[in-house]
Amino acid sequence: MDVDPSNYNQLAINENDTHSVVLSYLVHNCYIETVESFVASTGMKQPADCIDDMEKRKRIYHCAVEGNALKAIELTEQLANDLLEKNKDLHFDLLSLHFVELVCSRKCTEALEFAQTNLTPFGKVEKYVEKLEDFMALLAYEEPEKSPMFHLLSKDYRQQVADSLNRAILAHSNLPSYTAMERLIQQTTAVKQFISEDNAKNGSQPFSLKDFLSS
Amino acid sequence: MGGVGDEEPASKRMKVSPGELRGLSNGSSYTEPVAGPSRDLMARPLPSEGDEEVVGSKGVIKRVEFVRLIAKALYSLGYNKSGARLEEESGISLHSPVVNRFMEQILNGNWDESVVTLQKIGLSDENIAKSASFLILEQKFFELLDEKKDMDALKTLRTEIAPLCINGSRVRELSSCIVAPSFVGSPSQNTVRAKSRPKLLEELQKLLPPTVMILERRLEHLVEQALVLQRDTCIFHNSLNEDMSLYTDHQCGRDQIPSRTVQVLQDHSDEVWFVQFSHNGKFLASSSSDKSAIIWEVDVNGWVSLKHRLVGHHKPVCSVSWSPNDSQLLTCGVEEVVRRWDVSTGECLHVYEKPGLGLLSCGWFPDGKWIFSGVTDKSICTWELEGKELECWKGQRTSKISDLEITSDGKKILSTCRENAILLLDREAKVDILLEEDKPITSFSLSSDDKLLLVNLLNQEIHLWSIAGEVKLVAKYQGHKRTRFVIRSCFGGLEQAFIASGSEDSQVYVWHRCSGELIEALPGHSGAVNCVSWNPKNPHMLASASDDRTIRIWGLNEIKVKHKDAHSNGIHYCNGGS
Repeated sequence: MDVDPSNYNQLAINENDTHSVVLSYLVHNCYIETVESFVASTGMKQPADCIDDMEKRKRIYHCAVEGNALKAIELTEQLANDLLEKNKDLHFDLLSLHFVELVCSRKCTEALEFAQTNLTPFGKVEKYVEKLEDFMALLAYEEPEKSPMFHLLSKDYRQQVADSLNRAILAHSNLPSYTAMERLIQQTTAVKQFISEDNAKNGSQPFSLKDFLSS
Repeated sequence: MGGVGDEEPASKRMKVSPGELRGLSNGSSYTEPVAGPSRDLMARPLPSEGDEEVVGSKGVIKRVEFVRLIAKALYSLGYNKSGARLEEESGISLHSPVVNRFMEQILNGNWDESVVTLQKIGLSDENIAKSASFLILEQKFFELLDEKKDMDALKTLRTEIAPLCINGSRVRELSSCIVAPSFVGSPSQNTVRAKSRPKLLEELQKLLPPTVMILERRLEHLVEQALVLQRDTCIFHNSLNEDMSLYTDHQCGRDQIPSRTVQVLQDHSDEVWFVQFSHNGKFLASSSSDKSAIIWEVDVNGWVSLKHRLVGHHKPVCSVSWSPNDSQLLTCGVEEVVRRWDVSTGECLHVYEKPGLGLLSCGWFPDGKWIFSGVTDKSICTWELEGKELECWKGQRTSKISDLEITSDGKKILSTCRENAILLLDREAKVDILLEEDKPITSFSLSSDDKLLLVNLLNQEIHLWSIAGEVKLVAKYQGHKRTRFVIRSCFGGLEQAFIASGSEDSQVYVWHRCSGELIEALPGHSGAVNCVSWNPKNPHMLASASDDRTIRIWGLNEIKVKHKDAHSNGIHYCNGGS
């Protein structure tokens, strides 16, 4: 099979599709102003309640990333009443964010009490036990940043939780939880990988998105 | 140095100190200055034995250690006053005052003080010190939790335990313990989570070097070691209930080996070729050239009486074989047929034969459902109980003497093949191992644990082979006579510690298996002894079969038999011969 990419340069692509891809990415990540100007520039139709929904999600996301998990939970409940009930994992992750906050602020008594009330009930279920033990272990150290579980205090972790929350909210409103952009890139990567393995050229490189984009 | 004590021998000076230095013979760094001028303490009465640092004739026991162990044993037995007096009189402390203080603090729960004292003990290995501190603080932690002082426990964890920087996974577990009760599979589900303080002390004892804190029951352990060693080297050891005494070295006398004829069974009318006890020791089977076999019953007192005479063979019966559950017996006529008999009724249940051929030996599979037999055409044949022939292993190069044995797991079959060799056929691994001797083999027998094989050779030697794992020769036994006939030997006694064999000089020979030493040559028969069997359930009972047409039952040489009495009529107590 001829896999010369240049043969596909002439494939027609619908401009509306491209616009949708970009828009979905912007909406997913709550770039409100960018959405507004993009819609204005392209003459696309903006979905109803779009701005409102983005604003809410944006607030929730930032609360989570900043460690204000309780507020994030409150707002989520307002927005989607039973979402956390249905996503126990997420609920646990959010609660644990708050716990981590308390630990970082050296409020040990509060942290312990919070854990005993809110986190330990999860301990009855096998799959949460190890995570729970990880968090509890933070209590043992006066300098949790130096403990073996320091990664639980990092911003990366908070972003991870915030992302999951965002996706869950989107899913709850029957919107795609992964943007078209993400999906397309994932697919391209997979296909390219497959092809290069298949050809087994000597010294074939694994797929690099960066290289692909600059080619 | 300098001062009054200079000219005195070193040991005297040490003895004179208040025992601090004595207690720490591990060369640890802890020292205290010698208290006061030695002349005060010289006023104490000196022990009569002098100042030797070693006791005992071999000079390997250090006095200090010996006394400390005795003191420890006294305390363990509850003789506190005696223990204290010993420490005082000998001038040797069981534990140094620091250690004593430490132990007291542990038992009283003065955790923080005990950690401080631990530092004062001066351990050379820092890791041990840390591990010990960890154990102590862990105990503090758990006791606080048990008192519901969660925040205090947390504080201990954060400020005292975690900073030790050891045992991170345990620290993690401890954190979880604070909130534990609702966990699935959390470390301790009990409401009381702290162990007892004496238990903590025991664990600390094991952790710290033995010179600092003597292990519990160390003296008892040493004594037990000696007793076990004595028992292992006792070559006549043949009695289960032998009480070992500390007063004298354990040594069973010859009187534990059956060495006296207790009964003579005369019911065969010709040479008796084979004899074997049942697995449960309650029956004996014998076979003779008078073409019959006899099942004997052994009663609770060891008295043997005739139960059934099994008639039906047309040739001399060369061997018998008990079914695994002892309910049935196989008998084999020489180059004839194999018959299966019911032990309780004496009835012949089946006859196995190969038309045109003769059978030479017989045996059972361990599940009791199949039997096998050696055939004159050099093959081994197997049958289902009801007579359906199953397999025939041909070409096994079996020679005329077809002894056959199978291991109790049914996995290995042993048969003589060629004059000088025994074939070990592994049915599972489908591997054959050949056990080769340099002289022709006349018979062999397998031990009950399937690990050892006893092989009788033409040249009057009996060889012991180990067949578990690598096949190798382990021991040789000699002394008996064998020139013309097939003589059989067997394992026997407690834990199969002995080997017994027949002999053409009419005696029964008994060797100690491990040492190879000949223990007994028992006279009594008036013809070659063809076969012996040791009762598997009674280490004091041996049976021998002879050309003189009798079977002799051998028992212990003592009138007062410990385990059984009620030999009310003394007729079978013959002294030695007859």
